[in-house]
Amino acid sequence: MNFIKNLWNGIIPENPIFRLALGMCPTLAVTTAAVNGLGMGLTTMVVLIGSNVAISLLRNFIPDKVRIPAYVIIIASFVTIVGMLLKAFVPFLDKALGLFIPLIVVNCIILARAESFASKNSVMNSLSDALGMGLGFTLGLTVLGIVRELFGTGSIFGLSILGASFEPALIMILPPGAFLSLGLLMGLLNKVSQAK
Amino acid sequence: MREIAGLAIKLFIITAVAAVCLAFTNSITKDKIVEQIALENELARQEVLSEADTYEQIDQNSIISAAESLNFENPEIVAEVFKGLKGNDEVGYTYKVLPRGYGGEISVLVGISVDGIVTGMKVVSHAETPGLGANATNDSFQNQFNDKSTEQPLSVISGGSPGDSEIEAITGATITSKAITDGANFAIEIFKEMNK
Repeated sequence: MNFIKNLWNGIIPENPIFRLALGMCPTLAVTTAAVNGLGMGLTTMVVLIGSNVAISLLRNFIPDKVRIPAYVIIIASFVTIVGMLLKAFVPFLDKALGLFIPLIVVNCIILARAESFASKNSVMNSLSDALGMGLGFTLGLTVLGIVRELFGTGSIFGLSILGASFEPALIMILPPGAFLSLGLLMGLLNKVSQAK
Repeated sequence: MREIAGLAIKLFIITAVAAVCLAFTNSITKDKIVEQIALENELARQEVLSEADTYEQIDQNSIISAAESLNFENPEIVAEVFKGLKGNDEVGYTYKVLPRGYGGEISVLVGISVDGIVTGMKVVSHAETPGLGANATNDSFQNQFNDKSTEQPLSVISGGSPGDSEIEAITGATITSKAITDGANFAIEIFKEMNK
């Protein structure tokens, strides 16, 4: 039961992007297109699962006073290993996601979940938290990517939606567009959840 | 004192385990990664100079001295030159040029046949804006370079129909289009200098 609750918690009630406002730097930078958002989200989820499980397993071994350096080492090693494996064995995936991998090391969602959840909870709960947060992050990034790509280029996932006569609002795929769409989406979500 | 020593030992264990994991992954992926990159470069050379069946790298020093005698601002902009051979006949050259685009260095491969015709251009890697500059990897842009003469330098136009030595810019990405075309021009100049 807890598993489902933790999972759901990350997707909507504590969505990392729209609710916790975590990991804003990659969020704003990579959501220029839906496919980038999806790629970044899924790669982050894989790393988040690995680091949450590892840290939860080690939670009684890691001394409280040096926990942050310990977490950083575990996360950075994990990301580097994933990066090397992708490069060597699945080059096509590396071509698509390679850009995001170094960005994950500095993504504060990973450290935040390690600190606030995995270090205090069992392995199963940490796994479900990682899945939920990862899915929530992916969902947020993809929605943001869809909105920006639609208004910025007239297409979604590279498929033309609005037709050739649509004059794209370039600002949407440039950095200011990231702030505009994130703000408006956050506001919209707040409005909807208040109305309930 | 005791406490500090305890913390140090635990942190040491974590870093040591991480180091072993990284070293192990590196040892199994290192050769594979080099292989993948070599394969990718080989395929890219095939694409821009399809007539050749083997490629021989040309000494880097002779490229740099050619670039210096042409007074290039950055003599290392032409990073790699391969001579393309069909059997024992020389059919052309491939040039890897690294112009600066909007999002940093762009790696461009240009093929030129022995009789001075551009046989192809391919953007190998880049960090341009998705939806804008990233469209430089589309065939509709890349194929414009096919069969261009090296008699005169190429120039970029926006709108209108491009003439013999003109390249039509990507919509909303003039900087990227110019950077790539400049890169191709550097390759053309080096070609002329080394084959006069």
